[in-house]
Amino acid sequence: MVLVSAARDYVNRMLQDISGMKVLILDSHTVSTVSVVYSQSELLQKEVFLVELIESTSLSRESMSHLKAVYFLQPTSENIQHLRRQLASPRFGEYHLFFSNILKDTQIHILADSDELEVVQQVQEFYADFVAVDPYHFTLNIPSNHTYMLPAVVDPGNLQHFCDRVVDGIAAVFLAMKRRPIIRYQRTSDVAKRIAQETSKLMYQQESGLFDFRRTEISPLLLVLDRSDDPVTPLLNQWTYQAMVHELIGIQDNKVDLRSLGKFPKDQEEVVLSSEQDSFFKSNMYENFGDIGMNIKRLVDEFQQAAKSNQNIQTIEDMAKFVDNYPEYRKMHGNISKHVTLVTEMSKIVEERKLMLVSQTEQELACNGGQVAAFEAVTNLLNNENISDIDRLRLVMLYALRYEKESPVQLMQLFNKLASRSPKYKPGLVQFLLKQAGVDKRTGDLYGNRDFLNIARNMARGLKGVENVYTQHQPLLFQTMESITKGRLRDVDYPCIGNHFQQGRPQEVVIFIVGGTTYEESRCVALQNATNSGTRFVLGGSVVLNSKRFLKDLEEAQRIARSSTSVV
Amino acid sequence: MPWKSVRAPTSSSTSTSSGGPVIELANTSLLNPNRSYAPLSTEDPGNSSKGALTVGLPPAWVDVSEEISANVQRARVKMAELSKAHAKALMPSFGDGKEDQRLIEALTQEITGLIRKSEKKLQRLSATGPSEDSNVRKNVQGQDGVDIEMNLNGNKSRVEDDDLDDMVFNEHQLAKLKKSEALSVEREREIQQVVESVNELAQIMKDLSVLVIDQGTVVDRIDYNIQNVATTVEEGLKQLQKVLS
Repeated sequence: MVLVSAARDYVNRMLQDISGMKVLILDSHTVSTVSVVYSQSELLQKEVFLVELIESTSLSRESMSHLKAVYFLQPTSENIQHLRRQLASPRFGEYHLFFSNILKDTQIHILADSDELEVVQQVQEFYADFVAVDPYHFTLNIPSNHTYMLPAVVDPGNLQHFCDRVVDGIAAVFLAMKRRPIIRYQRTSDVAKRIAQETSKLMYQQESGLFDFRRTEISPLLLVLDRSDDPVTPLLNQWTYQAMVHELIGIQDNKVDLRSLGKFPKDQEEVVLSSEQDSFFKSNMYENFGDIGMNIKRLVDEFQQAAKSNQNIQTIEDMAKFVDNYPEYRKMHGNISKHVTLVTEMSKIVEERKLMLVSQTEQELACNGGQVAAFEAVTNLLNNENISDIDRLRLVMLYALRYEKESPVQLMQLFNKLASRSPKYKPGLVQFLLKQAGVDKRTGDLYGNRDFLNIARNMARGLKGVENVYTQHQPLLFQTMESITKGRLRDVDYPCIGNHFQQGRPQEVVIFIVGGTTYEESRCVALQNATNSGTRFVLGGSVVLNSKRFLKDLEEAQRIARSSTSVV
Repeated sequence: MPWKSVRAPTSSSTSTSSGGPVIELANTSLLNPNRSYAPLSTEDPGNSSKGALTVGLPPAWVDVSEEISANVQRARVKMAELSKAHAKALMPSFGDGKEDQRLIEALTQEITGLIRKSEKKLQRLSATGPSEDSNVRKNVQGQDGVDIEMNLNGNKSRVEDDDLDDMVFNEHQLAKLKKSEALSVEREREIQQVVESVNELAQIMKDLSVLVIDQGTVVDRIDYNIQNVATTVEEGLKQLQKVLS
């Protein structure tokens, strides 16, 4: 909640003190930041009658001096160049500049120099350099996400760029929350360590004045993790509403684009899934597929009742009531069509890809034991004609991650079968994954088979039986959060940067996963926060993953790694 | 800052309560010579002190937008008067209440006229040729449309016939019969009027509903609207290039 309200607050402050008609100019990143927390109609109420991207503003020549320009940009060099040109020949009456992160002194000088006509009224830093998709979940939408998988020597420039972006994003989050954290990172990950160190340098040395907030009793915690520590979660198929939509169709900045699935009426081509704006979604986003179906049916029934009473218009009073209720009625109608469409399309996909069958095996690979049974199940599915290539790949990957060290012969057999069955399979991809995220690379106890306590816990769970075999998996994050709330996060595995150390249990924790988060994990965080354990968690990542994105990053990293070794 | 612009009548935006109108109402603070309020400094060329930059005048359609707001304001005042007149008409009184009826009719006509005028002006806003600020115009149009729609909801057809006087038959039946005939003809006329105004209402609502944004849908998303603008601008550019080459 805190990040959504911080971002909204910033936008409000940008607009409120400027009277008259305004134009809001954004760049391709801040447009995402603003779009998830502010709606077009709210902008109109604040008299913002035009919204443009800074690239298009450069192209146009028409002067609109009756408008006051409000710029909200990331402080990148491209944006500064655009601004320079626009300030030199201003189109608007006044210029109010807001930046989403810390401006360098040189950049301020450049702007001041180019403002010859003195049209700039104010320059401020409003630290909303992240996309707050849900109350406790943010993302940075980094396009070249695969960079985190590559060792530094392969492409140091790109890796530096990636790390800078992550550090800036994390810094903005803490500036927005007005906190300075203790920083811990995952020991086995070089990139996590690097990001942790650079963040610490920024917060405690370079900009220590800016971050010098009122100290609370117990400092908040920033924990930097690597996606490779839990490669299982992004590979699994999902059955809870939000995660499932992202896995099967894809959610970007809380928008779902249905056009790839077929022809839809104009107003259902793209839909919005935002817990802030849609109360049905808010109460169902973490429910499983079966329950959603029932809840939608109930919603449709309620709607039909309302529709029936609307048909029954006899008197003028009825008409008046109808006109009064019409906006609500229309909104409900649109909302219901949206959910019904989504669930219908997802059911179709589940049916086509036989996902219930596949997912059963996936969950067993992720949760339970039995190598022999697992091998058999995977082999059968590989032989099954109806299973799609991507599902076969995921199954083999999940098997490989689990039984990496057991029975290498059978593992090899699976690789060969996969290669022969899937013509588009990039050979060696599974092995590449194992190199990235195999058991030797992982810190956390992914399968609960390292320490005694976890083994016992798994056995207990197995005996108790599971409520729903499709949602039995719990991401590693769950255990990590538990350790934090109990104050038992091991220093050996998650060391601290610098000589700060954690006194007591932290009350605010930001967990950043380098390589991306998943909606299954953000669900885990939201449910954890709902238990009011005294610790509040916020989850963030470089992107929000689904299996398609995760595999794409993997393929891209493999391609680059290969081409670089061939050069060397 | 050498000057500070004072905000004109503060927005009396009512916060949306659950179940109330989905779209909020806000008074625009555009300057209007017909209203009287505290003096404020308008943008004058002198404000950008040393620069040679001249602050141009807003384009003509801004005036149209202001006129619409003025009309909406006037309509609202009239509606308040109308409800008072209704209340007065419903109270028992001496005399035949014809005066009140006429007043009510006149007020209703005025209000409908104002709303229709505003609607026509709103259409004009989109009629002027394509240009860069068409997006600004469209957005202003949408906002004004919302204002008008809010007023329509207030101005439900109040021409309720409450003059269904008891038809009392007494000894002078013939005379009374003639009178009641005249009455029923008049009532028929009034009912016709009711039907007409309801139809007008329906028409106006239909026209306005196209302009108003549904909250929570993708049309209400800033990034969606930017995308569309970008495509339209690109298209426009392509067309221009075609013409010029």
